[in-house]
Amino acid sequence: MKPSLISSRRALLGSLAVTILTLGTIGLIAHLQSPTRGLPYFDSFATGKAEGWQAFGGTWALVSGVMRNDSDERGAKLLTGSAYWEDYSIEGDVMLLGLDGDAGFIVRSSNEEEGVDAYDGYYVGLRSRDNSIVLGRAGYGWAERSFPMSASQDSMQVLHWYHLKVLVNGCRLIASASITTAAAPTLASFIDDDCIRRGRIGLRSYRSGGAWRSIVVRLATQHDVDQMLARGNIRDAPSTPFPSTDFSDLSNPSLPSSVDLPQPSTPDPGTIPITNLRLYALTKPAKATVRGLVTLTAPAIYVQDSTGGVAVQQAMPKRLKVGDEVEASGDVRHDAFSSILEHAMVRVLWEGTPIPAVSVTPFQASTGAFDATFIEVEGHLRRKAYGLGDSLILDFDAGSQSFRAILNPGRSSYLYRELKLDSLLRVRGIAVADSAYTGNLTPFAVLVRSSDDIDVLAGPPWWSAGHLVIMSIGLLILALSANLLYQRIENWRLHAVVEERERLAYEMHDTLAQSVAGIGFQLEAIRVALPKQLTSVHQQLDLASQFVRHSHAEARRSVDMLRPHQLESEDLLNALSNCADRLVAGSSVKVIASSTGDAHPLTLRIADTLFRIGQEALANAVRHAEPKSLAITLEYEKNLVRLLIDDNGRGFVEQQNQHSLGVLGMRKRAMSISANLEVRSSPGEGTVVIVTAPLPPRATFGSWPAFSWKLLKESARNVKPVGKSYPYTDSR
Amino acid sequence: MSNPSASRIRILIVDDHPVVRAGLTSMLGTQDELEVVASASSGQEALAFLQEQEIDVVLLDLRLPDMIGVETLLRMKRSGHRARVIILTSFETDEDIYRAIQAGAQGYLIKDTSLAEMVEAIRTVHAAKRYIPHVIAMRLAERMMRVDLTPRELEILEYVAKGLTNKQIAHVVGISEFTVKHHVDSIIEKLEVADRTEAVTTAIQRGIIAP
Repeated sequence: MKPSLISSRRALLGSLAVTILTLGTIGLIAHLQSPTRGLPYFDSFATGKAEGWQAFGGTWALVSGVMRNDSDERGAKLLTGSAYWEDYSIEGDVMLLGLDGDAGFIVRSSNEEEGVDAYDGYYVGLRSRDNSIVLGRAGYGWAERSFPMSASQDSMQVLHWYHLKVLVNGCRLIASASITTAAAPTLASFIDDDCIRRGRIGLRSYRSGGAWRSIVVRLATQHDVDQMLARGNIRDAPSTPFPSTDFSDLSNPSLPSSVDLPQPSTPDPGTIPITNLRLYALTKPAKATVRGLVTLTAPAIYVQDSTGGVAVQQAMPKRLKVGDEVEASGDVRHDAFSSILEHAMVRVLWEGTPIPAVSVTPFQASTGAFDATFIEVEGHLRRKAYGLGDSLILDFDAGSQSFRAILNPGRSSYLYRELKLDSLLRVRGIAVADSAYTGNLTPFAVLVRSSDDIDVLAGPPWWSAGHLVIMSIGLLILALSANLLYQRIENWRLHAVVEERERLAYEMHDTLAQSVAGIGFQLEAIRVALPKQLTSVHQQLDLASQFVRHSHAEARRSVDMLRPHQLESEDLLNALSNCADRLVAGSSVKVIASSTGDAHPLTLRIADTLFRIGQEALANAVRHAEPKSLAITLEYEKNLVRLLIDDNGRGFVEQQNQHSLGVLGMRKRAMSISANLEVRSSPGEGTVVIVTAPLPPRATFGSWPAFSWKLLKESARNVKPVGKSYPYTDSR
Repeated sequence: MSNPSASRIRILIVDDHPVVRAGLTSMLGTQDELEVVASASSGQEALAFLQEQEIDVVLLDLRLPDMIGVETLLRMKRSGHRARVIILTSFETDEDIYRAIQAGAQGYLIKDTSLAEMVEAIRTVHAAKRYIPHVIAMRLAERMMRVDLTPRELEILEYVAKGLTNKQIAHVVGISEFTVKHHVDSIIEKLEVADRTEAVTTAIQRGIIAP
């Protein structure tokens, strides 16, 4: 009753735990996939943080609360949010940094990669070239519609904040743009019949730099749609799929007159290659003019031409973009390893194509030959820390060479988490030897332009200390559970054996013993009925009766031997002495039982086997040897236990009796516990049966490896002699 | 003696094995003073026979297909039969013997007993005495005496018999009260009794501790 109660309670608790776990998992999944998780969303650019934004191309950096991409890359993206967001609106301020491109928002995006249209989603952007809102769908391809800004708005200008709002509800996509939130915005609306249902949001710019701020994402309903549509000049598009791209169709792009954008101008003929700057006298201040492409704008401006790079300090700070072709004139100053152009007047000549990085080894970079140059190096990340103004400082080494990479604040906290120590990284940036950056700790530092310029080539090796500890704990648990399982199986086996024995005992009792008894009674009846004169027949019948009685006694003995005996190791000796007492009951045979050594607890299997062997030995002694006394001795030693059954009976010639069934049976039992059985006897001297059984070392926490090894060895040994484990067949 | 028409002892054999029944019937049939009235192969059958016929002595096997011999014996006694019972079995454990005698068997025989001894036993039991062979008697005594109590449990049982509380025993023996309680529970379980008072009574009855 009790055990079943306990087991049912355990089952109840188990199912309860499983239910809770399942519900928890379902709840967690539902929460993660909820279309409203994390909404409404407000950016934290103002506090200098951009957690959770993921860059695909571009040079994304936070500058005084504004997220900027200074590159003119075609289709630089920065994404965030949940891939399960469905109906929502995104609004914020957008600024174009270049003349010819566009910038805006991505909605319902998924499956993003680096590349122009490498995402599935919608893009809504402001395009200065044709003064319109461009609205399109990307899916590793591009289809768009453009909606000219309404007449009430001025023509679109570069370096002006526009308020852009995009709303997606069902398959309807609405965008509105205005100079200020107060003015009636230009509206563009579109219904995509086979629309993309859900996805993240993002910032994107195309062939122009862009700046974004105050981004808010909210859930959107039909009500919001109506409200938005009511607010402005609707430029509704027919409900047809996006037409295929035809840029030539964009009629009459009204190029805006530039406000403060530098006009392309002719280059100064007096420019010199940048590398020649170091030929200038170290003492005499000198002026020089160089021409090159801007490779870095923050924390300092670097300009590079085909011969090398130089740091430029502007006399009048002017916003430059990476990739601008500039002409800079200023005073040449020499630092320890590099030249600097101070008080420089910088003229932007035109917007060029950013130059690619030169791939060098850290050793090459450390020679100074690539100072102020845009390079690409590989190294193992050894340390990460925050430096001045939340910039991220990464220390690398590659072989014996160490270097440092410095990343502008912005997305550094995200990177700080993502980058794992000891992983192999490739970083791109401007190599500088300035001690202001290296801290005199490394020969050079790399000023990384954006988080996108760090590639993880290989994660940290698996054999980190933590992993090794986890692995060894795992192995330990595995070994312990294997050991536990082994013992459990061994127990089951023993139980099966005991059950089978019991069945055999029943069988024998119910058939063999009963028949023998019945035949005995029948013989007795015949004997009584026979006339007294038939003496010889009487004698034969007496003999037969005696045989039958003997057989019955034998059968009873066998049944007794097969009956289960609950054996605890401490009463092995008791059990054997009881057994001996019973065997000699009614006779004058003396039984002496003793034990020596510290009694170890024996496993059920060993105790049982020793008991069976002892029982057999005692029975043999009583049956055949006619002893005066029986000595049962149990000797405990460190790793073994020895059982001696000693009789002072008749004894026998050793060779003859070694293969009798009884001895073979005992030997077979002994083998099952890897024990050794010895029978010593000589006529007239009595017999001693000695069983020596090794004790399994106790499995303690410290000894488990040796213990498992021994178990393994033992099981291997037990498996081998399949044919030999039946001594009956062996002896023929 | 209850049946004056014949002075022969009327016997019922209860054994599920036909060879045994036939053999016993033949063997006991050779004796003039005995009369094998019937033989039954199950407990139910035996009880039915006892309802119908006047029986003096029942030779009862312990293992029967429908109910064990002791159960049959108990039911017989409960329904008020006056027949005397000899257990006739081919196998015996101490427990079997103990329970059979407790249930009210007057004799206990092993099936390889000789005819002469068996007749003697039947006669003795019929004469309202007990017949228990020496070997069986010894084992019965052993079973009655046996205690599975550990020395510590015996010690504690003696204190319990003196009327000490667990707390007092813990103090005297120098172990915790919790351990004493554990030992007492173990004693109660081993003696198969309900509480500590009964444990003491039983222990005294069985001679485990001195009164």
